Amino acid sequence: MAKIRLPTMIKDVGSCIFKKPFTREYPAVKVQVPEGYRGRHTFDPEKCISCGLCERDCPAKAIELVEVSGKRMPKFYLDRCIFCYQCAESCPRDAIKLSTTFEMSTTEKKELLILPEEFISKQKVTTDEGK
Amino acid sequence: MEMFEDAVDVLKKNLEDAILEFRVPKPRKAYVLLKPERHRDAISLLLKQVENAELSTITGTDLGNEIELNYHMACGGTITIKSRVPREKPVIRTITDILPGANLYEREVFDLLGVIFEGHPNLQRLMLPENWPQGDYPLRRDWKPHANQENSFVSEETSQTETEDLKDAGSIINVIVGPQHPVLHEPEMFSFKVDGETVVDVEVRLGYVHRGIEKAAERMMYFQNVYLVERICGICNAAHTTCFCQAVEDIGNIDTPPRALYLRTIIHELNRVHSHLLLLGVAGHLLGFEALFQHVWRDREPVMDIVERITGNRLMSGFNTIGGVRRDIDPNTIEKTLKTVKEVRKRTTFYKKVFEEDPTLRLRTEGVGVLSRSDALKFCVVGPVARGSGIAMDVRKDDPYAAYEEIPFNVVSYKECDTWARLMVRAEEVLESLDILDYALSHLPSGRLRVRVQRKIPEGEAVSRVEAPRGELIHYIKSDGTAYPYRVKVRAPTLANLMAFPDAIRGAFIADIPSVIGSLDPCFSCTDRMAFLDTKNGQKWHWSLDDVNNSKNRKALI
Repeated sequence: MAKIRLPTMIKDVGSCIFKKPFTREYPAVKVQVPEGYRGRHTFDPEKCISCGLCERDCPAKAIELVEVSGKRMPKFYLDRCIFCYQCAESCPRDAIKLSTTFEMSTTEKKELLILPEEFISKQKVTTDEGK
Repeated sequence: MEMFEDAVDVLKKNLEDAILEFRVPKPRKAYVLLKPERHRDAISLLLKQVENAELSTITGTDLGNEIELNYHMACGGTITIKSRVPREKPVIRTITDILPGANLYEREVFDLLGVIFEGHPNLQRLMLPENWPQGDYPLRRDWKPHANQENSFVSEETSQTETEDLKDAGSIINVIVGPQHPVLHEPEMFSFKVDGETVVDVEVRLGYVHRGIEKAAERMMYFQNVYLVERICGICNAAHTTCFCQAVEDIGNIDTPPRALYLRTIIHELNRVHSHLLLLGVAGHLLGFEALFQHVWRDREPVMDIVERITGNRLMSGFNTIGGVRRDIDPNTIEKTLKTVKEVRKRTTFYKKVFEEDPTLRLRTEGVGVLSRSDALKFCVVGPVARGSGIAMDVRKDDPYAAYEEIPFNVVSYKECDTWARLMVRAEEVLESLDILDYALSHLPSGRLRVRVQRKIPEGEAVSRVEAPRGELIHYIKSDGTAYPYRVKVRAPTLANLMAFPDAIRGAFIADIPSVIGSLDPCFSCTDRMAFLDTKNGQKWHWSLDDVNNSKNRKALI
């Protein structure tokens, strides 16, 4: 029988006792996601020309054009979305952009909708403030 | 490369009378149309003439009046041997007597296209459920999804053979592992025949995560399919997209810019690094070595962060597209990646030492699950499993793609043929991959990222192979000149390796089952490619993506 040897990993394992845990303290500490992370969509209604390319090209069929204040604009179904951002790529006017928002989990399915109204009202608020 | 040309010459010389059409459109890719029933001659000839020749897969394509069977032979390149059978009477001689490795491929074609292979030892369903209606073949072109077709489903009954198989006979007892999470967290069923503590035989039942991706791909445009094939498997997503894009680029004669090829290589290798580290960690877990599992996974995390930084997601990279890649890499990220590569190399070197030295690990893995070289060749095994059995085959070297022709690296192979060798191959391959990353990042050519590609792809066909983390991955695409593919065929490495599993496990102890399955690194999502189950009445049916998104059907799902 070969001589008894200490397992190779024992030192490595032992040194961990005095270290802080490797896991992140999320949600107590916010996680920084890198720039360019494919999170929740943002949409610019001003730039949209209602061409419908995003609806046609979406591989998951997660985009539907809806009529909002006389203009057809995309409505995103996040429950179907696969976050590939083919829509942003297909958009000829760069109206669809990605954001680093990743906290989208919910128990309500209707919260997984992005309506164009959301961005229209926001813009109005900012211009109102400007006045 | 010479190997490939020799093989082509041999075929041309010896089968002159049987060849109807011979095309070599691209280097290392040949397509041979043979007279009916002459495919056996061609395949046995190739097996005899070419060292390490293996069958990659069999693709069945419905051409309308005929069903075309493509036997993709890997011999330094891909020689596709075509044989056609009439659709009305699709019968062809089996090749399992020449090459036992064709077993599962023939069953797959039988299951999904209804081609009967005369002389096949066990022509049973492979992917579809046992109560799937007879004479209903989803991959035929005129097949439509039918949710409520009357009398289409036989009521719940298990097939005769299965019930007979599961009876205990004498001292042999059946031990069923799965379908819930056998070893790895994916559904697959193994039924082991056990004599005391020793495994005598095993049967594998696939198809629990069959999603009908090949059929769904026929209803989506080429560029949309990139995202679909990416979702065949999370871990090797970059391998699937690279393979698919290469095949489409091949048909459309699209020249991908060199910078894109390098970036593809980088993301492909990062994929391999984190996949191998995952398996090495899981191997520790399966052997009861939890500390190793936790530590390897901790050190895998920086690699995932790098992938997230480059592509925008930890796992689903969405990086490749037809004609190039979608994102560029900036100098800061390159610097950070090089730093991570250095760190991961240090850690992997240490883990390799652990696998070499740790007495417990060696006792549990050495001489367990032995798969001899000749058996590995017979069952057409691929990837790290083949390299662990002493076959130095690697698509990156044999049939270089992307930027691998310019990057120096070694093919790792071990002669021990056991579980330990297969794990060591992976540990050493991580180090090789890190070297490739180092080279690729510091030799990154400048230039464009992608070329514009028309949505319509000209008529044609192409085979594309890549070395996924688990072994050779092959995609076959046939185009009819529209924006939608006529046929997409995917063969994931696990299907090839699974055939050798009974051979590797025979004679091992029950306690060794996890470590042997683990050392094959199976990925069943890759292997099975959509069935829905209505829990109320037990009916099963298939839906395409369109049907799923159809609002009426969506309600039914919820």
